[in-house]
Amino acid sequence: MDRLRERQGQVITAAVITLLVLVLLATGEKESLVIGVITGSAYGFLALGLVLIYKSSGVFNFAQGEFGTVAVYTLYLLHFDVPYGFALLGALGVAVLMGVVVERLVVRPLFDAPRVTLLVATAGVALLSIAVQIWFGEATARPVGRALPTLDRFTVLGVQISDQRLLLLGALAILAGLLAWFFNKTNLGLAILGSSQEPTATELMGISVKRLSTIVWALAALLGGLAGVLAVPETGGFAPGVLTVAFLIPAFTAAVLGGMTSLPGAFLGGVIVGVVEAVATSAPIFEDIPGSPGTLLVFVVLLIVLVARPQGLLGKAG
Amino acid sequence: MAVETASRGPAAETGETVEGGEPSFRPSPIGWLARGIVWAAIAWLVLIFPLGREAFELQRYSEAVIFGIIGLSLNVLLGYVGQISLGHQAFVGIGAFTSAYIVTEQNLSFWVGVAAAVAVGGLQALVLGGVSLRITGLYFALVTLAYGLVAEKNIFQIQELTGGGLGQPAPKPKGFESDFRYYYLCLVFLAIVLWVDWRMMRTKSGRALLALRENPRVASTFGVNVRLLTLFAFVVSGAFAGLGGALLAHNDTRVSPETWSFNLALIFVIMTVVGGLRSRAGVVIGSAFFALIGYLLDKFTILQDGLNAIPGAPDLSPEIARLVIGPVLLLLTLTLTPGGIGQQIRPIVRWLTGHRFDLKDRGLKEVQISDVRA
Repeated sequence: MDRLRERQGQVITAAVITLLVLVLLATGEKESLVIGVITGSAYGFLALGLVLIYKSSGVFNFAQGEFGTVAVYTLYLLHFDVPYGFALLGALGVAVLMGVVVERLVVRPLFDAPRVTLLVATAGVALLSIAVQIWFGEATARPVGRALPTLDRFTVLGVQISDQRLLLLGALAILAGLLAWFFNKTNLGLAILGSSQEPTATELMGISVKRLSTIVWALAALLGGLAGVLAVPETGGFAPGVLTVAFLIPAFTAAVLGGMTSLPGAFLGGVIVGVVEAVATSAPIFEDIPGSPGTLLVFVVLLIVLVARPQGLLGKAG
Repeated sequence: MAVETASRGPAAETGETVEGGEPSFRPSPIGWLARGIVWAAIAWLVLIFPLGREAFELQRYSEAVIFGIIGLSLNVLLGYVGQISLGHQAFVGIGAFTSAYIVTEQNLSFWVGVAAAVAVGGLQALVLGGVSLRITGLYFALVTLAYGLVAEKNIFQIQELTGGGLGQPAPKPKGFESDFRYYYLCLVFLAIVLWVDWRMMRTKSGRALLALRENPRVASTFGVNVRLLTLFAFVVSGAFAGLGGALLAHNDTRVSPETWSFNLALIFVIMTVVGGLRSRAGVVIGSAFFALIGYLLDKFTILQDGLNAIPGAPDLSPEIARLVIGPVLLLLTLTLTPGGIGQQIRPIVRWLTGHRFDLKDRGLKEVQISDVRA
């Protein structure tokens, strides 16, 4: 029965993707496909962090986007003075630090509190982070350094894309591979997976679940930071709380598409959400929707998944 | 501090009523006199103190009262049924625009506008809740958050409703043009909301609401229709929020789209939690405090000086102050005193309603936000 359910998920996933690609090709929205896959991968990485934390702490981390924004801010502040590579390392370091601090000061004291309390707390962390950014910086948008100063363009599938985007795609592909290796082959990765599935059994195996919790938050913050520094320069500028405003809901939708538990599902969900959003933004049939049609469509996707298939595309029922 | 206590009155008036306690205890005549004096002081602060203040200050006081209504609106959802809305700014904002639209574009009266805002608020909650309330807890929070974003990016972009970039004008109602009259009007509305809330929790449905928060499964075994009641609470919450929005619109006499951001939604949640879930007095005080933070910072420069002592920190403008101080208070409340302000002032409220003064009575069994269910 279980295997059948798993298959069902795969069939639905395949059908959704095929349908999406067919619609795209039929309407000539090839550019949306490429752009969608790229922004979607960034959503995917944010979603990976969300899923990791959900599996380990059982909470929706509303501060996940802020790990990215803080990284982007650090990158912005550093990239005037030091080479890009060091600025990038600094940015990711600050994001990881923030993850560890949040885990120590907020998550750990609320370890036994109900999950919604913790959710309110992470939302508070997000607001505090945004507030501090507005306080010390300005509320205006500003440009941020690109990884590549050049503006070379490449042609993929007949669509012109910038070198920055190509770099983003490459980095994301490598990262996805690394993560898959980390969770399947290394002891630490397996321990994290174990603690998220069976905390008690993991403790009995002599692994400290609390210590793992810190590592998970650090890892999630790293993923958030990466999503930030890779994707934000592409949008041209950033304002306080940029990732929370623009990335968090799509990332959550992606994670929900993956059933909040499946790592590959979350990444795949990110790509699907990215494509849907890109199509909504550029396709003429959505022109009449006031404001940004992408937001509305992502909301609709979220509702449909939650109501019709709450276990996500690849998730198991129950 | 006078201002903060000013808002304490209406809440305390309808605050905690007798529950258990010691029926044998009767205050002595001197005790009654002391209580009477405190009541009179509170009444003075709320009713007389604002008289003759400048328009700018009165608007802040009205805002504090309206925030009280919004806090109570979230309290119904978060405190009574344990569902969290992270998109409440959408309900309040749509209420504000509805009323402004009806008064300005349709030339109807303020009262029609307020009634429409209440109706639209309830209707929105009914539709959104009808679709999404089969999922509860964290997922419901997520849906409301996404809904708030949709309101911000789509609904508030409809030019006819919002009047474009300049916003929609929302004149004060006839007979209440002066700011202090409008302030009293807001107080009346707050009193009505408090009364409705109090009566609602005294009904069978109200008790069922509390039961289903404690344990939905047990409640449903006892014949409580969990989904219907949760939806009911959501609709009541939406209607209160719509009312708050309409009052807010006419207080500022103009509504603009960018007011209703994610940050505001979080401030709403924070002020309710810091105020103390299920404590009406606490919620109103907490909400009023958050409405007045900027004003208080201007009035009492000690706070400002303290913050300036942080090296390299720029001046904290009133608008940002609430965003910085709010989360800090929230995290302190969650980790140290889950009952919020309501828990702290409980002995005083109990004393004021004719009970013995008992400093240890923090109603711990009553106030635990920890029983918000996931």
